[in-house]
Amino acid sequence: MAVRDRFGLGWRAKLALGILSNLDRIDIVEVIADDYFRASHRERRALRTLAAQTPVTLHGVSLGMASSVPVDTKRLDQIARLCDEVEPVSWSEHLAFVRGGGIEIGHLAAPPRSAATVSGAIANLRRAREIVGVSPQMENVATLIDPPGSDRDEATWVSQIIRDSESDLLLDLHNLHANSVNFNFDPIDYISHIPPEQISAIHLAGGKWIGRPNARRLLDDHLHDVPGPVYQLLEDVGARATPPLTVILERDGNFPPVEWLLEQLDLARRAVARGRARRSAAAA
Amino acid sequence: MKDSRLETFLARIYVDQTARERFLADPRGEATKAGLTAQQVEDVVKIDRDGLELLAASLERKKHNRR
Repeated sequence: MAVRDRFGLGWRAKLALGILSNLDRIDIVEVIADDYFRASHRERRALRTLAAQTPVTLHGVSLGMASSVPVDTKRLDQIARLCDEVEPVSWSEHLAFVRGGGIEIGHLAAPPRSAATVSGAIANLRRAREIVGVSPQMENVATLIDPPGSDRDEATWVSQIIRDSESDLLLDLHNLHANSVNFNFDPIDYISHIPPEQISAIHLAGGKWIGRPNARRLLDDHLHDVPGPVYQLLEDVGARATPPLTVILERDGNFPPVEWLLEQLDLARRAVARGRARRSAAAA
Repeated sequence: MKDSRLETFLARIYVDQTARERFLADPRGEATKAGLTAQQVEDVVKIDRDGLELLAASLERKKHNRR
């Protein structure tokens, strides 16, 4: 049986009605796991109801997996309990560090790209698999700063972790696009470092330019539409990655009407379809 | 330990304005005082200052928006 690529939206309270009214145009919903760690019984019941209606994937944002410091077992237990309760089709986290020495950064920070964070991330992924029962898909993060203490490029660092941990990559194409323009590297070369069978999910988002004219950086803010280069990258991934892909459009604020987001999802469908056609033609 | 010390140092200068200002005024002195290795000191001395300021401002905005 052919395996089908899936396209969905990130669940946000302000999009809830729009998502629930359009489940015929949405294949999957991504829910921020951390929003439910301290949720009431009623909120968790609502999440179970959602998961009964449509496939759900859980997305963690606070584990800090790409660190030389071992991941907190209590936080992994929270994810494990939520996965048991919701039975998502997958769960994911970030190749980021989020705290150090008790200082919470409050964001997903790119760690030094070094042997220490490669081995730390692999150990943390092994621990996550033991406790949750399933490996998370791991997402590449956007960064405004080239992390000090790095001795390798991002493509090398990410591919080492993904290959050696045997985890899948959740490839955030806007994060990749932003880092490639901010730090001047080729995003296609980056994608070619990742085994095609280990790219299993995609994030799409938008951002804006910030900073002084001679020191501008593209900020991944999830407040703007998906830009054209990201759809082109999506087509290129569709031409390369082994099916199926799960593609999620993330929007965290400045919300347009849901129809506008669904149109962007349709653009994503068409981009992947073009890529799949290229893949089939190359295989013929 | 030496690697977690670098992560702690970065976390501090990303979120703590006073620590960041002290670091930018004397990068080598502050990094040495934090117990970083000689190589790590050299790495943070060469920090991308534009990126650091933009990241810090972005983190501050996120913190403000969560309030």
